[in-house]
Amino acid sequence: MRIKLEQVTKNYGNVQGISNISLDVSTGITGILGPNGAGKSTTMKMVLGLSRPSRGIVTIDGKNPFFDVELKRNFGFVPEYDCFYEHMTGVEFVVYFLRMHDIDKEEAEGLAREALTELSLDGAMDRKINTYSRGMRQKTKVARATVFNPDLLVMDEPFQGADPTTRMLLMKKMSEWADEGKTILISSHILHDVQSLTDNIALINNGKMLAYGNRHEIRDLINIPRPISIVPVKKGNLRKLAKIMIDEKWTKATAIDEENNELTIETNQSEEIYLELPKILQKEKMTIEKIYSEDDSLDSLYAKLVEGAQWK
Amino acid sequence: MEMIKRILRDVSEIPAMLQTFAKRSSNVFPPIAKDSMYRLLINKVTWIIVAILLLPCLLGFVIYYQTDQGRQIETVDGEKIYYDSGGNLIHEEKREAFADQAYAIIIIIVAVITAILFSSELINEEYEKKTMQLLRTTPIHSFEILLYRYIAGVICMFGIVGLGSILLYYSIMMPAGLHGVLENLDVLLLILKILLFESIAFMAIFSVFTIYFEKPFLVGIIYWAVWERIVSTQNYQKLTITHYLDSVTYDSAKDMNIGVDAETFSLVNSKGDIIATEPLTAMLVIIVFAIFALWIGARGIANKQF
Repeated sequence: MRIKLEQVTKNYGNVQGISNISLDVSTGITGILGPNGAGKSTTMKMVLGLSRPSRGIVTIDGKNPFFDVELKRNFGFVPEYDCFYEHMTGVEFVVYFLRMHDIDKEEAEGLAREALTELSLDGAMDRKINTYSRGMRQKTKVARATVFNPDLLVMDEPFQGADPTTRMLLMKKMSEWADEGKTILISSHILHDVQSLTDNIALINNGKMLAYGNRHEIRDLINIPRPISIVPVKKGNLRKLAKIMIDEKWTKATAIDEENNELTIETNQSEEIYLELPKILQKEKMTIEKIYSEDDSLDSLYAKLVEGAQWK
Repeated sequence: MEMIKRILRDVSEIPAMLQTFAKRSSNVFPPIAKDSMYRLLINKVTWIIVAILLLPCLLGFVIYYQTDQGRQIETVDGEKIYYDSGGNLIHEEKREAFADQAYAIIIIIVAVITAILFSSELINEEYEKKTMQLLRTTPIHSFEILLYRYIAGVICMFGIVGLGSILLYYSIMMPAGLHGVLENLDVLLLILKILLFESIAFMAIFSVFTIYFEKPFLVGIIYWAVWERIVSTQNYQKLTITHYLDSVTYDSAKDMNIGVDAETFSLVNSKGDIIATEPLTAMLVIIVFAIFALWIGARGIANKQF
């Protein structure tokens, strides 16, 4: 499914929820990141047709999700908050919503049990939800949202309250669903989780879109040098490599860490380094043990953008 | 010509549409009704209503045991007919006593409060627990969201308050024996009929209030006190539900020879003319009004943003 937000603004009275946000998402996983109150949930509610934009257009496959009820046949939603019929069992809860999808009782029960078992809730699915732990509740929400095989999955903080095993299981499932061609929109404040799921991100802060696209490309847009560390196999090559690199046009500064046998280059053109370095190494008959950038992680990107870095 | 063709095509699609709706209803209605009824039955407010309903019944039983000794019995064709100490037929006295008490306690007070509380539990709770957000991300139409909860609410309200009416009837008629109980069943049926139409009308109105207002209980009480109790006695009373309920009650009570006149129900205008509506028309107005209110409510659910 294709999600399209065109210059969308949402006001709640005098308070601005989101401002002038544009987004074009198709299949695969896209992470929506931002601090609390940034506008992530508002954006997701627009996509789900739970809220209408004050200005701008939201479409899912060209249709308005606020008015098109049939479109919602393909929506799976995992909310951030708890919203259960606490007196129901896990199976009853999932069956209840399956029946809203016009699925008859027997088929719904089979599907619900299958989905809950897949998420390792087979031992608890006949217990009342008010006895569930946070992890169980999270899994029940995910089972409810995915059991009818929707094309669009909107997951607001899906890892919240989940133990490491549940988190790993959910991440595995999400990757599988993405491989099946589903469109998955996920918001999380656990950046590491999003980073291991996808490179496609939308960064929102104070209701404004700070960046949208591939996180490596976004990082390159930020006009502050980025450190790239290189560790040669032979310790003797460290200074030689530093000398070569300092002459290259992309190098802003270099630093040698003799103790760890590590050369750190500060650059604004990291892609260039990744392309040219193999040629240099081949020419100089050098080998390296590893090349990495601490600054490449989502955490650092997030911090830079949210703290208001300079843009080109 | 083109328009006629379109209308004919639309009309020809009605059976298929109804079939689809019936099939959908068979899947969507049972879980919603089951959940709604369960929530209403386990709600402590319901049990407070039950307690309120039981109070006059208990009072009836107490009165019965206190006055039991003064009764006189006459047996006609094997049937026991009871008279009070003054030689009056007890079941005839109790007939009006039940009609008055049922109308004052059940129709005017308990049923209205029940409708306000039940509609709030069924609709407002869904917003507060945020389950409404989940429902709005499913392919269920807002009219269905409201309609099935409304039907469950009407069934519960009519069932619980109706049962209370039957108990009240029995506790009042007890001194008149089995003969009295059977003799006055028409009055009980009248109260149940009024209660059914009251459930249909007020559950719909208060559901709308629950959807549109932040404090539905307060708005509901104000509406009932001002509109249904004051305006329903004035010249514009045809704009109130009470007018149509009273029209049905008045007509039936007249037929049953219960001592009532149009003024008892304020079914007269300032000139003193009787302005009661025909009972069948009144019932139809109540049903049409309820459907209209549900439609307004469904619009409210569809347009509500989160």
